[in-house]
Amino acid sequence: MAEEPQPGNIQEGADDAPADLPTSAEGRKEAAALSSLEQRHDDDDDAAGAGAAARSKNVDTEALGKAMQNLDRGGGVGGAGAGAGAGDRTASSSAGAGAGAAAKKVKVDAADVGLLVDQLELSKVKATELLKAHDGDAVRAMTAFVTAAP
Amino acid sequence: MPQQLSSKDLSLFRQLHKYYDSKQYKKGLRNADQILRRNPNHGDTQAMKALILNAMGQTDEAFALAKEALKHDMKSHICWHVYGLLYRSVKNFEEAIKAYKFALRLQPDNGNIQRDLALLQMQMRDYAGYLQSRRAMLQARPGLRQNWTAMAVAHHLSGDLAAAEKVLTTFEETLTKPPPKSDLEHAEAMLYKNTIIAESGDTRRALDHLESIMRNQLDRTAVMEMRAKYLLSLGRMEDAEAAYRELLDRNNEYRAYYEALEKCLSLERSNQEHRERLTALYDEYAKSSERVDAARRIPLDFLEGEEFKTAADPYLRRMLRKGVPSTFANVKALYSDASKKQTIEELVEGYSSELPMNGSAEKQPNGDHSDSFQQAVLFFLAQHYNYYLSRNLPKAMEFTDKALERNPESVDYNMTKARIWKHYGDLQKASETMNHARSLDEKDRYINSKCAKYQLRNHQNEDALKTMSKFTKNDTVGGPLGDLHDMQCLWYITEDGLSYARQGKYGLALKRFKAIYDMFDVWQEDQFDFHSYSIRKGQVRAYVDMVRWEDRLREHPFYARIAIPAAKIYVQLFDKPSLASGLNGPIPDYDKMDASERRKAMKKAKREQEKQEKAEAERREAEKKNAAKKPVGPDGEPKKEDPDPQGKQLLATKEPLGEATKYVEPLLEFAPRNIEGQNVGFEVFIRRKKYLRGLKCLLQTASVDPENPTLHEQTIRLRKSLDSLPEPLSPKVSEVVKSSFTLIPDNVSLSDFNESYISKHAGSAAHIRGGLDARQSLDSNTQKKNEEELIGTLQFSGVDIQDGLDGLALLKSWGADEATVSKYDEAARKRWPEATFFETS
Repeated sequence: MAEEPQPGNIQEGADDAPADLPTSAEGRKEAAALSSLEQRHDDDDDAAGAGAAARSKNVDTEALGKAMQNLDRGGGVGGAGAGAGAGDRTASSSAGAGAGAAAKKVKVDAADVGLLVDQLELSKVKATELLKAHDGDAVRAMTAFVTAAP
Repeated sequence: MPQQLSSKDLSLFRQLHKYYDSKQYKKGLRNADQILRRNPNHGDTQAMKALILNAMGQTDEAFALAKEALKHDMKSHICWHVYGLLYRSVKNFEEAIKAYKFALRLQPDNGNIQRDLALLQMQMRDYAGYLQSRRAMLQARPGLRQNWTAMAVAHHLSGDLAAAEKVLTTFEETLTKPPPKSDLEHAEAMLYKNTIIAESGDTRRALDHLESIMRNQLDRTAVMEMRAKYLLSLGRMEDAEAAYRELLDRNNEYRAYYEALEKCLSLERSNQEHRERLTALYDEYAKSSERVDAARRIPLDFLEGEEFKTAADPYLRRMLRKGVPSTFANVKALYSDASKKQTIEELVEGYSSELPMNGSAEKQPNGDHSDSFQQAVLFFLAQHYNYYLSRNLPKAMEFTDKALERNPESVDYNMTKARIWKHYGDLQKASETMNHARSLDEKDRYINSKCAKYQLRNHQNEDALKTMSKFTKNDTVGGPLGDLHDMQCLWYITEDGLSYARQGKYGLALKRFKAIYDMFDVWQEDQFDFHSYSIRKGQVRAYVDMVRWEDRLREHPFYARIAIPAAKIYVQLFDKPSLASGLNGPIPDYDKMDASERRKAMKKAKREQEKQEKAEAERREAEKKNAAKKPVGPDGEPKKEDPDPQGKQLLATKEPLGEATKYVEPLLEFAPRNIEGQNVGFEVFIRRKKYLRGLKCLLQTASVDPENPTLHEQTIRLRKSLDSLPEPLSPKVSEVVKSSFTLIPDNVSLSDFNESYISKHAGSAAHIRGGLDARQSLDSNTQKKNEEELIGTLQFSGVDIQDGLDGLALLKSWGADEATVSKYDEAARKRWPEATFFETS
């Protein structure tokens, strides 16, 4: 690998993958079959149940139940940033929650959303998000959009 | 309303399910019809029938029937599930998600629907929804490790690293005894957890965790690399050094290991004193193996002056003596340093003179290659003088010919000769020479592809396809071209499209570009199966890599290569809708003719088009007769015939700017630093009167290259159109424009601004072109003067053929008269006598 260094955004090893790809039509069919076979495997309650049973020799079912409960208590139900346990709230999730709380307060003018959708060609959801991020100030939101550098 | 079936019909319905699962569609249909005869309004049966019809390729009927089924039974989860499956099969994932959600609401504990929904949510990157689905699946079956892993992935990708780690740990804690070392799934899960810890930034903990699990890991390389990386970033240099040395023992050709090793020893390449120690370090590795190249080549990167010379000499001699053909490609990266380029040139020129060029004295073991060293030297010099940083085409040609004298059968030498012709601008000779090179080794697909590419560059599209057909499967639908499409042969389709675009055959060009656009869609969809498959296989790290790669799929240069020309063509179509009628080549310029001439020309074009259409229809008819059975694609699916092989419909689009936007948007999103992309984006948005988007393109370009000529011209154009708007912008928008559009100072007139730009860049043809174009658009009375100055740019030092071509295109875009164009051509021919571009116009 002593040739020219690759540009930074090229990932190494990307070319290795196709080596074991099936080359013939039959090989390809086989791969497709394997994919769908395993799919069915999962479809089939009996088979999956058997798999679970086989595994459970090594797994303490009681412990699993408890773990599930733990996870539920810590995780809450639904919600994107709510996954972190009560004890170990990470900076990111609390920041997310903070942003979420702030976002709720901002009132957004529907006319502004319309303006952004028209001028910046954003989806309605994205336009609302952008406005909320700038306290509903359309001029600031548009300026930020226009000048945002990568 | 749901209908109750009799017990007989109920068993038939169950059978129907089985038939569908085992793909016995005909039997299934018969079964369904039997039930429907007695219960014509039974929604579930209709839905199942729709599913079977869809599987047999009758998508439209299937959708109609599924809708009817839903009308009969809105409360059946089967109907909704089928509706979702149908949408999924036509890749309308959003509608499919909605349908699945309805189905799931009717039957919340149905595992199948839940799983299908989760896969779709992942595909659409609806992480919140995916998390919810995964949680439900985990609750339904906590005994399965996959469910835990998938839950962790959901947390990880939605950005909650701590929760992801906790899920993995929770499952681990339930294991009663440690899994055996051979448990691949367990090993992968542990490594996955480690990467999560590392991503959270806690390297120390990641290292501790890694060392605790190392013993049982099967992916040795990954573990060793991760460990070495952690040690280095924690500053434990001695341990890190040992770790990287171990890695180098495994693979001593990997640059990144060497670079990391330098860091471990805190050696700076720019530091004179350190350089000696670096040299010693690389020497040590070079001595360790006779075959290692990296350890010999890398020092050339940082050595300078006399040191460089003493190191480069043995390296070059070693490679050339072996006759390694890639020697030049291996060192050309050094040419960005002018003194190194000079040194290498002197060294190799020295070799060519110091050796007796006729009949070598020293005997080589391989008799027939007795002068391999001289040949390698000549070949090196040919490439050297062909390279753009050290270009001297006559010299390059001389050395190639000398090399060819010694070995006329060499594919490599002929290939280089073709490349030299290309740089001369003689595409015809380049293509011929490449074809000759191909004929020397007809079993080599590489040179075959090169030959096809050079033929495409020379507008020999049919010859190129014939060349390619020597290696394609030609019994597929559509012949060789069909196979190239099936096998997603990007480079060929791209080059073919670009070639058609240059010839003005925009229909075919758009056709090819669209094909590539669609291939990117296919790659986007290819990940679908792996949302379940990878988790089941337990290869989670690779899966996360794939998801992230898919997220920025279109930043690949291949996308930019087709998106830019495609958008340009659509912009042209918008400006000149008459182009759409010029399907078979450059159309006569209607604007310049008088009315009767124009009518005549249009009539003629139409007649020809009709003629071609007829021939096309006949050909297709004949093909139909020949092909008795249904054509099938590589995956065994029936293939539909292409209704528009000439790209006529693409060309006749009513909304060229809408199409252009489709190409441009991903480009602006994923490759924001691509200036050409931003330039095209501006052209699209200003025509659509989306001034803020246009402004964004300008500001983006300015952040990369503030003096870009196209940027300059576009800035003036935007200012001009904003100043002369028929109706004012909304006050908020104009406020944004006022505060952000500061590329032109307020108190300067546009023409003054432009003139100062022109004088500032007096020596650069590209910049002058931008300035002249701006002047032309500001005041069309200056055309004569602009034309003169444009022709003058051909005399600048450093202009290349591309500059010449760009200037010609600019001249034509102004609508210059024929005399001026031929004057330009003459000047260009004088400058590049071998080039074939300027002969006709």
